[in-house]
Amino acid sequence: MPETRPMVPLAPDAVISALGRAGYGARPEEIAPVARGFPSWVEEQLAPREDQDQAVRERLARLTLRVRYPVNPKWPAVDELRPLAYLDKPIEAAWPLIEKRQEMDGAERRRPREEVMAATILRAVHSRWQLREVLVSFWHDHFNVDAWGSEEVSVALPTYDRDVIRKHCLGNFRQFLEAVATSTAMLYYLSNRTSRAGAANENYGRELFELHTLGRGAYLNDRYDRWADVPGANKRAPVGYIDEDVYESARAFTGWTVEDGTNIDGKRKLPLTGRFAYVESWHDGYQKRVLAHEFKEFGAAMSDGRTVLDLVARHPATARFMVTKLCRRFLGENPPESVVAPAVDVWTKSARAPDQIAQVVRVILLSPEFAAARGAKVRRPLALAAAFARATGIDLTPTEGLWNELANGGQRLFGWPPPTGLPDENAYFLGANSMRHRWALVLGIAENWWGTGTFPVMANGMATARSMAARFLAGFEGSVQPATVEALLEGLGWPPDQALEPGNPEFGKRLARTAAVAAMSPGFQTV
Amino acid sequence: MTLSRRNLLKSALLSAPLLGSAGLRRLAFAADGVDRGLLVIVHLRGGCDGLNLISPATDPTFIEARASDLRVQAEGPDAGHQLARGPDPKIDFRLHASATGLAELYNSGRLAFVHAVGLTDETRSHFVAIDMMEHGVAGQAALAHSGSGWLARYLQAIDATAPASGIAASGGITSEFLGGAGGLAIPDLGGGFGAPGGPQVGAVLAKLYGGAPGPIGAAGRTTLQAMAAIDGRIPRDAQNKPVAYTPENGAVYEPGGDLGRALRTVAQLAKMQIGLQVATADIGGWDTHENQPGRFRNCVERLSAGISAFYADMARFHDRLILVTVSEFGRRLRSNRSNGTDHGRAGVMMVLGGGVQGGRFYGKWPGLATDKLDEGVDLSVATDYRQVLSEVLAAHSGRGASLASAFPDYAAPRPLGIFATAAAVARPG
Repeated sequence: MPETRPMVPLAPDAVISALGRAGYGARPEEIAPVARGFPSWVEEQLAPREDQDQAVRERLARLTLRVRYPVNPKWPAVDELRPLAYLDKPIEAAWPLIEKRQEMDGAERRRPREEVMAATILRAVHSRWQLREVLVSFWHDHFNVDAWGSEEVSVALPTYDRDVIRKHCLGNFRQFLEAVATSTAMLYYLSNRTSRAGAANENYGRELFELHTLGRGAYLNDRYDRWADVPGANKRAPVGYIDEDVYESARAFTGWTVEDGTNIDGKRKLPLTGRFAYVESWHDGYQKRVLAHEFKEFGAAMSDGRTVLDLVARHPATARFMVTKLCRRFLGENPPESVVAPAVDVWTKSARAPDQIAQVVRVILLSPEFAAARGAKVRRPLALAAAFARATGIDLTPTEGLWNELANGGQRLFGWPPPTGLPDENAYFLGANSMRHRWALVLGIAENWWGTGTFPVMANGMATARSMAARFLAGFEGSVQPATVEALLEGLGWPPDQALEPGNPEFGKRLARTAAVAAMSPGFQTV
Repeated sequence: MTLSRRNLLKSALLSAPLLGSAGLRRLAFAADGVDRGLLVIVHLRGGCDGLNLISPATDPTFIEARASDLRVQAEGPDAGHQLARGPDPKIDFRLHASATGLAELYNSGRLAFVHAVGLTDETRSHFVAIDMMEHGVAGQAALAHSGSGWLARYLQAIDATAPASGIAASGGITSEFLGGAGGLAIPDLGGGFGAPGGPQVGAVLAKLYGGAPGPIGAAGRTTLQAMAAIDGRIPRDAQNKPVAYTPENGAVYEPGGDLGRALRTVAQLAKMQIGLQVATADIGGWDTHENQPGRFRNCVERLSAGISAFYADMARFHDRLILVTVSEFGRRLRSNRSNGTDHGRAGVMMVLGGGVQGGRFYGKWPGLATDKLDEGVDLSVATDYRQVLSEVLAAHSGRGASLASAFPDYAAPRPLGIFATAAAVARPG
């Protein structure tokens, strides 16, 4: 059994904060049960079961997304609402979009990416497995690919999301690394697909060390190739990595590529499926040295790359880097050592466990530091949109207008060009542009600017501007600050105590706008 | 924002030698007592291959090291632009063939190049290099102790603390502005910059954020201030819809892509007279590990077109305008087998403006012989990026020594002389 520390029962505002950081926001009906048993909520969330997510299954089955493009000599004009086609298909089913790219409009190649974007929004709002959705987002940021910058990555995104990120998001980090390293999306994005013996492409190797595993804090850039000068190297336990480790790793991954139809030797050709392939004749088989470990020449197929993954996965710098990053996601910047240290310990001890990541997340979420970190995170645009829909009961449907506004607010889904992934720093979302667009985001959802769904009007009697404001603030923040109610009422300028009936058309308009401005308050923008 | 008489006087006094009497008619950016010109920093994100932007085209070592389509050619149909007064008279330095606009600016004497320039720290990591450059340092220890960006410190040093004195025009705020009062991220003004939902929502926001504590409260107030300063200056039509911005002199920003959009926003804001002093803009796509020739050409086209459009649009303000480009590093001398180049060391910076003594190169050319290369593989850093930026800040502020805070642990050697003296700038025409 994992170690759990005694927990104080949670107040409503604490539950709202916890569900806003470990999930995509609290639904009103969740608050009481989670207040009584946050640890059991965590346990349940750590073992998600697909067959128990009916809300998502049903909505995905009936979701349609618009596709529209003009006529061309080779194809007719298209303007239709089309159901999802790629989300559950293997890569080879989508790869004709790349193979036959001359025969269709580019909008067709954007479909796989748009389907994943839509499904991501839909799951954030409706999935029962809220913690998994947060981790899926964390790992997409961590193992970032840019599906807007490359058509191949766009077409590979459903497989990447499903078979790499979702499959391993609570699993074992070493297995996760290999799934990423052999994924079509990453092989294209960090260009290992074209890396060949002779002069390897170091793009993937460098980001593997710097961003995926040991972290830039372990980069000893002043040693360059002087590996023996790295402390610990004589015991084959160097404390960090140097440029030469990057170069040698790049050699180790030569030949890890994609079935993209390339000629191998004039007689043999890779098939055109988009799947992973290992091409022995492109691999640099000679001896290597990575992290002070000598690799013998001409090992078995893929053994060089796998040994690099073993070395980086079990390096102590990786444990600390990854755990700190996970803590930042759940607790905010500068997480205290009192939570990082025990979580690093669990990460290290469970290195071979199939649920290594789940074990670490459990320790973080059940720590008193997690409970204490209220208000530490600025909600990112998707988290804000989902939390707003969940708190108000809007049955939100993803649309292009919505994901464009998420992008305006600083979060273009699956479209962060550099491999760092979307920043997990409040400062990035506190700029004037992001602030203004996040205010617009909740208003646009409340007033259905983008066709995402109408605001629910509960027909349970009369309401005044004051009662509406108090109701939403209580639901959003867990407690009502009279000053905030007054701020809303004074700003809105409606007679605060004039009662309206639900049948009055003004009722629904005021309800939606009141909810939106309540969600613009600092108490809902942070969690 | 309040107009401070003291600041007005101080700025007027400081800039008097730079402006001369002729300059007083051209207080183009004057607002709230600020009458400096505009400094624009363009980031070439991803590590621009300086050797492919400006190639030592006839250097035999270079020709041996790279496939021909990763070099600018000195002759033939793909020959690059000839550059007079290169850094080494024995070598024909050529500018990439797609950089036609930049070639014209160089030949007009307003654009200068610095080759073999960069970060003296040996990092080959994008993110470490960017962090160091945006903090204005060159080392891990200095970075660890630096809590602010160099533009934040500079704006502080010149008392430009209004939020709208600094703009990041490409999405999020860049860390150059970190830790300072100025610095807004405003990538686009197409839909206006007012409160979403109109004045009613604006009134609520003012109440909600007026006294709100913490970083979110401060961010809300800054945003509301910026909205108030900017939105009212965006022209609107009879239906109260924002009127699209029309660049001057027929400048066309579209071929500049992401950079063009950002620079267009900078020009639009500069002409609003809201006290804008410093702006940053990004152009991505330079991390050319594979298939470099096409990707690089595309980047150069956008870079050249974006900067040309901006310079044309801002023609009225050339004597008050400085644009400088930076990139986190250059790329490896030898190409890889993906027909690309991996992370290297030194690269190229460009400085453009009415006060720039352009049409020539600054800084030493270290050469490409193996013993001159960094670790035997990369073009060495012969000029510290901070030397160029120090001269840029001295020219922009009209001051010298008091700006040391922008680059705290750096003592600039003798100036490269990129800018004309104050007296020369003051001459009209």
